[in-house]
Amino acid sequence: MTALLQVKNVSRYFGGLKANEDVSFEVPQGSILGLIGPNGAGKTTIFNCITGFLGLSRGEIFFDGNSIGGVQPDRICKLGMVRTFQKVKPLARLSVLDNVVVGALCRTRSPAQARALAREQLELVHMGHRADALAGGLPIGERKKLEVARALATQPKMVLLDEVMGGLNPAESEDLIELILAVKKRGLTQIVIEHDMKAIMRISDRVVVLNAGRKLAEGTPQEVVANPAVVEAYLGAALAED
Amino acid sequence: MRLFRSRQAWLGLLLIACALLPALIKSPYALHLFILVFLTVMLGESWNIIGGFGGQYSVGHAAYFGIGAYTSMILLRDHQIPPWFGVWAGMAIAVAVALVIGAICFRLRGPYFVLASIAVAEIMRNGALNWKGLTNGAEGILAEVPPFVLGPLHIDFVGKVPYFYLGLILAVMSIVANALVRVSKLGYYLQAVREDQDAAHSLGIPIALTKNTGLAISAALTALGGGFYALYTGFIDPAGVLGIDVSIQLVLVCIIGGIGTVAGPILGAVVLVVLSEALRSNLLASALFAVGVPQGSAIGQFLKTNLAQAHVLVYGILVVVTVLFMPDGFLGFFRAIVSRRKRAEANS
Repeated sequence: MTALLQVKNVSRYFGGLKANEDVSFEVPQGSILGLIGPNGAGKTTIFNCITGFLGLSRGEIFFDGNSIGGVQPDRICKLGMVRTFQKVKPLARLSVLDNVVVGALCRTRSPAQARALAREQLELVHMGHRADALAGGLPIGERKKLEVARALATQPKMVLLDEVMGGLNPAESEDLIELILAVKKRGLTQIVIEHDMKAIMRISDRVVVLNAGRKLAEGTPQEVVANPAVVEAYLGAALAED
Repeated sequence: MRLFRSRQAWLGLLLIACALLPALIKSPYALHLFILVFLTVMLGESWNIIGGFGGQYSVGHAAYFGIGAYTSMILLRDHQIPPWFGVWAGMAIAVAVALVIGAICFRLRGPYFVLASIAVAEIMRNGALNWKGLTNGAEGILAEVPPFVLGPLHIDFVGKVPYFYLGLILAVMSIVANALVRVSKLGYYLQAVREDQDAAHSLGIPIALTKNTGLAISAALTALGGGFYALYTGFIDPAGVLGIDVSIQLVLVCIIGGIGTVAGPILGAVVLVVLSEALRSNLLASALFAVGVPQGSAIGQFLKTNLAQAHVLVYGILVVVTVLFMPDGFLGFFRAIVSRRKRAEANS
């Protein structure tokens, strides 16, 4: 069986800068891929390429049997793939509920149906009590959760999470880890960019390491942390920080 | 829900009160003011769909207003087609123009749409000035309005009363259109695009289609307003219906009333029409004299001769004050007061 997402030899250049060079990996249905690497390794760039925010300089991407290189983000969302943003993008002057309603409208006919779905999604991230608050006034932890709830409301097959745990305290991170695992249980496929190695070890089925735009290593979490090249390029620094 | 029902009841009462007004008010000038308010409400609500909900600040809506006005007047003059039919052609042309502008300008982000919208309206104004065979240039078009006949219904457009009711109907229609857009899928999409285009795009919202749909609806309603204006005044010229002050007026109505809300443009229209009429009839100077500014003094003389022409200046001051102290317009300001009072009551 072919994987739900196939990234094949993708390169993305900005002028002379090679943000991604010949990156390939696959994400099988229902699994979680951890994507790690030092700052500037091209993690967010590959997210932007996969979700249509950037065109490809070279290579191909297949999602669910469709070639999606250069396809617009809204089309990709309709195909069933949604992302969150590292720098969260709440619809600030809309209520928390309406933020999720916007996502829910992707696959519902009427705003009334969308509202029912949105309430469910808010409960899932334990934010039901915040439904009427303005999204712009939320603290960072709740903004991150709102971002995830809004993405899930589009009823995707696959979710790409860009550092949803960045800037959160341990309790909030734990909430999100449990949310990611719950989403996996529902059969969704995920790619997770994260710097917190403990979290990556817990949730990932496989890990891809990017460094300077190229794929440095790929394997199970255990294989990757034991890989000398990975320790050299990334983990050494990460462990030193702890 | 109870709040909603009581609000509906209030709106119904207000509407009935408005409908009864011509029976009480006989002064043509007072009726004229109401007609101006209705027209301004309608235009503000039209702009609000793309500017308020969509966050795409068009400063060129005079283009659509002028298209509606000119199309209905030219069809009336050359083909004796009454404006209530002609305006449909005007609306169709306005939508076509809007889609062309949108297709070109909505690819760009930031201030480019604003600039392009101004440019298009100015092109139209210059076109109307110079295409004399069609528009009669700066002299404008004057036309007599035929009576409206539908079966037993026969309405002569003489006096203010028929225009009053027509204006009221159009204003209510545009308010309802706004309220419907607001709770529709399109309304959510427009607001999402306004708040964050990338987030909207990632959530499956087709950006260009959403903006173009919003602009098309807005343009059609604005053209309808232009047709009504032409019918009411019976005379149009390029400066009057295609000037940049028409475009700015629509934006101001929304900024002052409260952008992106249904009730905002209503409030803004009342404030602006009353204010501009007060300035024109020099009420402001009279009020200053009444509170003790000596009329005979040099300052008094200066005010008396100049304040009536200070229209734009006072508009400007009002906008600055609104933006500084009431960034959500009069409506937002009143809402803040109400919610503060409620909170105080809840605390005590």
